[in-house]
Order: sequence, then structure tokens, then C-alpha cells
Amino acid sequence: MITGTGITKIFKQRGGVLGAREVPALRGVDFSIAKGGAVSFIGESGSGKTTLGRIVAGLESHDGGEIVIDGVPMSSLSHRRRQPYFRRVQLIHQDPYSALNPTRTIHQTLEAPLRLRARQTGRPRSWVDGRAAELLAMVGIDPGYVLPRYPHQLSGGMRQRVVIARALTMDPEVLVADEAVSMIDVSLRLGILALLKDLRERLGVGVLFITHDIATARYIGGDGELYVLYRGQVVERGATEKIIADPVHPYTQSLLSAIPVLHGLERPGAERVVPREMQREGEPDGGCLFARRCPFSTERCEHEMPVLGRDGGPGEEAGEEAGQEYACFHPRRRSVIPVGVGE
Amino acid sequence: MTVIVNPEGAISPEALPAGTTRATLRRNFWRGVWRVLRRKPSRMAGVVIVVLFALMGVAGPLLYPAQLPRDDNALYAPPSLAHPFGTDFEGTDVLALVVTGARYVLLTGLATAVITVALGTLIGLVAGFHRGRWDMLLMRLTDMNLAIPGLPLLLVLSTVWKFESPLEMGLVLGVLGWGGIARAVRSQTLSLRERGFIEAARGLGLPTRHIIGRELLPSMAPYIAMNMLIAVTGAVYAQVGLFFLGVLPFESNNWGVMLNLAVFNGGALTTPAALPYLLAPLIAILLLTLGIVLIVDAMDEIFNPRLREE
Amino acid sequence: MTADTTAHDIEAPGVRIRDLTVVYKTPAGELPAVRGVDLALAPGTITGVVGESGSGKSTLALSLLNAVQPPGRIAAGSVEIDGLGDVLTLRGEDLRRARGRQVGYVFQAAQNSLNPLKTIGKQLLDLGRSHDVEDLRGLVRDAKDLLARMGMDGARVLDSYQHELSGGMRQRVGIMLALVLNAKVVVLDEPTTALDMITQATILRIIREVHEERALTTLVITHDVGAVAEVADSLAVMYGGRVVEHGPVTEVLGDARHPYTQGLIRAIPRLSGDLSLARALPGRPPTLGTLPTQGCVFRERCERRMDVCETDEPMSVNRDGRTVACHAADRHLTLVKRKELV
Repeated sequence: MITGTGITKIFKQRGGVLGAREVPALRGVDFSIAKGGAVSFIGESGSGKTTLGRIVAGLESHDGGEIVIDGVPMSSLSHRRRQPYFRRVQLIHQDPYSALNPTRTIHQTLEAPLRLRARQTGRPRSWVDGRAAELLAMVGIDPGYVLPRYPHQLSGGMRQRVVIARALTMDPEVLVADEAVSMIDVSLRLGILALLKDLRERLGVGVLFITHDIATARYIGGDGELYVLYRGQVVERGATEKIIADPVHPYTQSLLSAIPVLHGLERPGAERVVPREMQREGEPDGGCLFARRCPFSTERCEHEMPVLGRDGGPGEEAGEEAGQEYACFHPRRRSVIPVGVGE
Repeated sequence: MTVIVNPEGAISPEALPAGTTRATLRRNFWRGVWRVLRRKPSRMAGVVIVVLFALMGVAGPLLYPAQLPRDDNALYAPPSLAHPFGTDFEGTDVLALVVTGARYVLLTGLATAVITVALGTLIGLVAGFHRGRWDMLLMRLTDMNLAIPGLPLLLVLSTVWKFESPLEMGLVLGVLGWGGIARAVRSQTLSLRERGFIEAARGLGLPTRHIIGRELLPSMAPYIAMNMLIAVTGAVYAQVGLFFLGVLPFESNNWGVMLNLAVFNGGALTTPAALPYLLAPLIAILLLTLGIVLIVDAMDEIFNPRLREE
Repeated sequence: MTADTTAHDIEAPGVRIRDLTVVYKTPAGELPAVRGVDLALAPGTITGVVGESGSGKSTLALSLLNAVQPPGRIAAGSVEIDGLGDVLTLRGEDLRRARGRQVGYVFQAAQNSLNPLKTIGKQLLDLGRSHDVEDLRGLVRDAKDLLARMGMDGARVLDSYQHELSGGMRQRVGIMLALVLNAKVVVLDEPTTALDMITQATILRIIREVHEERALTTLVITHDVGAVAEVADSLAVMYGGRVVEHGPVTEVLGDARHPYTQGLIRAIPRLSGDLSLARALPGRPPTLGTLPTQGCVFRERCERRMDVCETDEPMSVNRDGRTVACHAADRHLTLVKRKELV
């Protein structure tokens, strides 16, 4: 079980006569991932979703808030003592091409972490080879074919499976999958997503799924939870299927509206939302972060910042169902997602 | 364990035997090297040249008596069948001088290259990988190394040190010359450490020793190998130059010494008689450089598994 | 060239690709990346070409400019563009003029194809000079109009360096550069890859609008069926260097006939639809080296594989405006026809 409370991260940008400018990448994000659970973070570039994933994987520091792994707050530990905890969280990179060392065979790539694991768990060294084959079979590739090969001899989909197998060598509790399918051929994407779902069910591995494509989040498990991030703030949160079917925050609605419609198979939603402007860098922080682009923003949105759960949370017009929260002064359901032609 | 969901590539038509032991990998590597070298005739030529020089260095002095025979009747003799490059001022065969002189030159070159590359790579890797304080310290050290004026220092050193052994010579040249490589390796490391596979290794908790030695170093192998080969030629030029200038006291036979004697004693620049005596060591140096340059061309392909296997 | 409005009156040109074969030289000999492709782009339409890695779609796009680089070589076929003739016979100066003037090209990752050392304005002027545009002022005015059309402040953009623009902005600059010389045929290679969803939707809308306003004939190359579905009139599906299916986009998506198209559509992560029906295609996309030399290129991943697929390459069969190259689809249709007769 991993929880994060009030995670903040500030990047210092160089430049300007006034010296460093501070850009908040995360503004107090709360989340928790249970054993075998699935949590998806959705957002555009600059939303802070990748930064969050790296913080959870222990690859980046944060400026505020607390990460708790299995009941142990990480801030209470020294850098060295933290390592074994963060090893339980493994990051799956977006790019399966740079994630594998081109000069090492798959066998070598898996052998090193497995030897380490054998030492940690007091297993004999002979366990290593069998485990490597076992892990590859688990991610759906033929060990006999893959083990002696170099990364360049494998397809993108196979490489991504090897990357997942390598992450599994540490018997992780949580896999952080950052855009894990965006560089995979379309015909193979569902295979990787189904694999993540399968690993959740069979091994009880939690998945933190980071993506800009909401549609893919559906495929790692129907019980998943979805967080919509905008400029470092969670603007909407709830069950994945629920939010996709009934988005309330205008930003979530914009994201869903932007997903291409497969004309011929589906019809566009009746109330698609298009933001008024493109995202710009260095926007002011006063008021709702989405106000300038939001087609429904009012005077109030310009000056006051809505808070997740409190403003427009459960109980108001739109979100009776428990669990769905959003940060918006003017919440309203809109049917924005495509409808199947047959329906 | 069962195989699950869309086993992509579960078919293994040409599945290799699961033999991935070190021995197999090493054998495959050397087979790959052979393949890469055969790809271009120029590379094979380079290998032949370098092997010839290596043989010369190892076996050369064994072919001749310790004291090379002199022929007082044939001082500065022109090239002939008996003396393909003529003779020197004492009537000694120039070819014999070149062959016996190769050992000192090559050993120095090799020692220098090994020391520059080892020091430079180690310092560059550590600085680039750890960044922060280590980086600061090591790079200031590198700056100092780069700022050392080599020639004056050698002049001073040679007043107290005779450089009889080629290894001593190589040590000095190596310790003076690692700065450039350290710089270059550091910048390579800085860019490589951002790569996914290095980050993954850190995320897996693999020891720093493994990350530097097994992940970073092999990725830089072509680069390091190229630098090493080029360092050999650099070192050959440097020491030959030093001997030629007469900066270093010479006791043994050496290409640089030959050049020095040909020019300053034989007047090779003004009279044709000593010309073969001047040209022979020059040709040797040029050939050696050519051989090395021809091989350098293959390094990229040798250390990149994709290029190695076509 | 001035901001000449007459260009809008000219009919959009048609493009006819006939029997195009492009081969790449490899250690294993010359292998075809594109083989025997017939494709007609109707004047004034947007055609989408969809394919995965190794499908030959980018090579096809380059052929439209006769710009296949060695080790690639156009081995056979013709690419006829109205008012220009067969592009593949053009050489040297004629070819250079055609690129830009008649055929605009927005490169894959246009975000990265701008010169980082020059402002966008400078690059625009370079483009104008290299095509002997006399009225450079007019060119700048056209560029500003186009940029404004795409929702950007033209003057500001022209004064910017590429690093000062976001990915979506660079993509629009790429489109502007492809259109500013009044090219009537526009090729967009992966125009929305690596862009965020909302930016992608905006770019796709802009492509559609500009296409209609300027009466263009547009070819969009992408791996993303969704992007094409949103913008194109007709859809060509490529696999292993062949066009396996081609037809109006709603029909191809709504009633796919080739097993690959069907599998590809099933494999797209979607917002609606039954999750349990979705599944990835088995096997993996072919590479130049693994393409079968005889029979159907898709047979190894096909669930409707028959004996004939091993030996005979399926011919492209045209029926009611749709082209399909598949033995199984063929037989299926014939069977239906026979039943109707009975």
C-alpha cells in the first residue's frame, strides 16, 4: 500500500533578469494505491503526471508532502534506508528502445537484478536462470527465443514486455507505467495493457498508470481509479469507468472530447467541449487554473481557486455518487464521449 | 507458469540454444569482430600492418645480435639488396635499426595509451556519474592536468631522469595526457546516465559498481577503444618528437634517435646520402599510424551488437 | 508570388499512384518496402494512410515527392499529379521546384524539423528565395494570414526561434511552411504524433478547415486510426508494403473487410464499446527482412488464413468504390453474391 499526501514539487527555471522563476509542477496531490489496485493519472504534458510517477518510484525528490510505503513515512528515513522501500516500486519507461541496454543480451539484463534479488532473499544462484525464464513466460514471451538476443533483435512490443519482466525481478508491489504503450505499435497496445491487468490479478501488483490517452486507462482494469491532473492539481477523481461515462469537470470533458471519433463505428458526443485557447506557458496562478481556457468560466473562477472535494464535491448537483470528486465551481455533466453507432 | 495474453513472438523459428554463458558470448563477440573486419579490405590491411608492427616489437630484437654489426666500408651506403634502406653513419643496416628500435617506441605508445585511457576513463566516469562535489573536484584536477605544459616539464624531468625503460617514458606521457579523455568521457557519461536503462538500473537498486562497469562502460567501449588507438599514435609522435629534438638523453636504439642523427649529424636535409636513414623511421611511423587509423574505422561496428551482426 | 486569390479558383489536383514499388538495399538483397501500390487521391479530398511500423507508409509519402533516399530506390510505377505529370520522371531543378510549389510536405516530427539557429521568419524567407519568389513581402503577408488562420499571432511567431514555440505551435508552423507557396497537394507525415490530446484535436480541426478553404488534395500518413478517422474522407490501410484495403472512411471503419483492418480496429483502445471484445492482434508487425516473398503478407497473423494465402498473393479487388486485397474477403463476398443469385 502506497499513499501520498499533499505532494508538491517546484521546479526552478533559470532565466530572466529577476533570476530563477519557480514553476509548481505538483500542487498538493493526494493519492493511494492498494495492493493489486489500479490508479491512472491523466493529463497533458506539463500536468506533472510524469514527475509524480518519478517521485513515487523514488527517482526524484519532492518539496512538500509525504509518501508512505507500507505504513512507513519516507521522510522519517535516511536516503539509504529508503532504498529498499522504493525498490518495491518499479518504473516502466515510456520508451522501450532506450530502457534496455543495447550492448547487453536480455539474459544479462535480467541476470543482474535477479542475482541481487537472490542475495537479498537468500536464494541460491542457481535460482536465477530459472526465474529469468519464468518471468519472461509470465509476460508472454518465449524465453528460449528472447534470452540470448540483444534488444535490437526484438520488436517494440517484445521489448516493453522485457522491461516489465525486468521490473518484476524485484517482486514489486507497484508498477509505475509512464505512457507505457505510447511507443508501441497500435495492434500490440492492448496486449501490453492486458498484461498489466493480468499481473494485477495474478501477482497482486498495483499499477500506477500514467497517460495522456484516457481510453487506454480503461484497459488495465474496470475497478481502477482515475485522477485528472491539470497543471499540477487534481481537478477530478473517481472510478475510471464513472469518470469516462460522466465527466463533470470541464477540463476532463475537454480531454474526453478531444479523443478522435471513429466515424462509421461511433458518433461524436452531443456536448463536446473545446477549450477556448491553447495551453500557454507561464500562466498566472490566481483563481481556477483552467479558468482562462474554460468555456464556462465566470467571474468567480478568475479569482478563487476551487478545492477538490469541497467545491462541487459530492452532494451538489452533479456528483451524488460517492467517490467522484472534482474541483469546479460550475460542475455539470455533459455527454462528450462518442457513442457506438449500434447503440 | 503459463503463457498468457497474446504471446507475441511465442513462435521461435530459429530459437538459439539457451546457451548464454560467458564463453558463448565471448565466442560470438570474436566471431562478430572477425566479420566486421572482413567487411572492408582496408580494415584487414590495418590489422595486417598493426600485427606486423607488433611482431616487430616482440620478435624484432631477437632477429639481430645485441650489438648490430657495423661496416666501416659502407658509411651512409645507398639502398641495396643487402641494405634495403642503406646504412647509417657507422655503417649499420637502417632496416635493422628500425626493426630493433620498434620495441621501445611501441611499448611506450602502449603504456601511454593504457595509462591515459585508464586514468581518463575512470576519472571521467566517476565525475559524470556522481556529479556534484566529486565532479567539481575531479574536473578541477582535470583542468590542472590540461594546463600542465608538457614539453618544459619533460625538459626538467630529463635532467634528473634518463627514461631508460619505455615503461617509464609511457608512465610520464600517460600521466601528463589523460585530461582530454577525462573531459570527453565525463560528458558522454552525463548524457548516458539520463538514458532509460541507467535509470532502470538505479531503480532496481543495482550497485554503482555494476552500473558503471557493466552498463555505462560497454556503451562507451567504441569511444574508449578509438581513443586508446589514437592515443597510441599520439604517444608515438610525442616520444619520437622528444628524441628527435634531443630533449631526452638517449642510450638505446629508437626511431626518434634515428631521425635526430639523420638530420643533425647526417645532414639529411641538405645531402641525399643520409636521406634513406631519415625516411626509414618516418615511413615506419606513417605506416603504423595508417594501420591504426584503418582499424579505428571498425570500432563502432565492433562494439555495437546491431552493427556487429549485420 | 503575391497573395493570389486566384489559386483558390483552380480545381484541386488529383493524384494517381500506379503500381508503385520501392525497394531498399540490404545485405540480403533488395527488399520491397512498398510493393505494387495503386492509390488514387480524388481531387479535393483528404486521404488517410494508416499503417504500423514497417508498413511502408512513410516510404509511400516520400515517393510522392520523388524523395526516397538511398539505400532506397523507386523501382517501378508512376505518381501522376494533375498539372505536374509523373513526379517520378522529374529530375534536378524541376523536381526541386515541384517540392514546395506543387507538393507541400509536413515532415514527421515537424516539431523537430525547424532550424534551431534561425527565426521562423528567416526560414520563411529562405524558402521564398530558394523558390524565386519575387514578392517576399507578399509571402510574409501570406504566412501571417495562415498563422492567424491557425490561431497564432503571425508577427510574433515569425520573430521566434523554434525553442520558443510549443509542440503544437511548431506543428502549425510546419503546416504553414508547407502551404505558403500555395501548394495544392499536401502530404502530412504523422502530423499529430507526440502531441497532447487537446492539441491533436486542434491540429486535426485546422488541417480539415485549411484543406477546405484552400481546395487542397491532402494525404495524411499516420499510425493512429483515430486521427485519420477524425479528419479523412477516405482511408487506405497499409500492411507489409501493400495497400490491403481502401475506401470511404466511414465504410472502412464501420464495415471493414480485410482481416487486418478488422483486427486493427478491434485493437484500438476506445472510450465506448465492450472491453471484452477488444484484443490485440497476435504476432507482430513485419520488418523488411521478415516479409514473406510469396503469398499474402498478412497471413501469419491472420485468423482466416487459407491454403491459397501461402502461395498466391491476393489481388486488389475493387467493388462499389472499395478496394480489398484478401482471398478470404473475396470468397466471402462471392459466396454472398452466389446466394443472392440462388
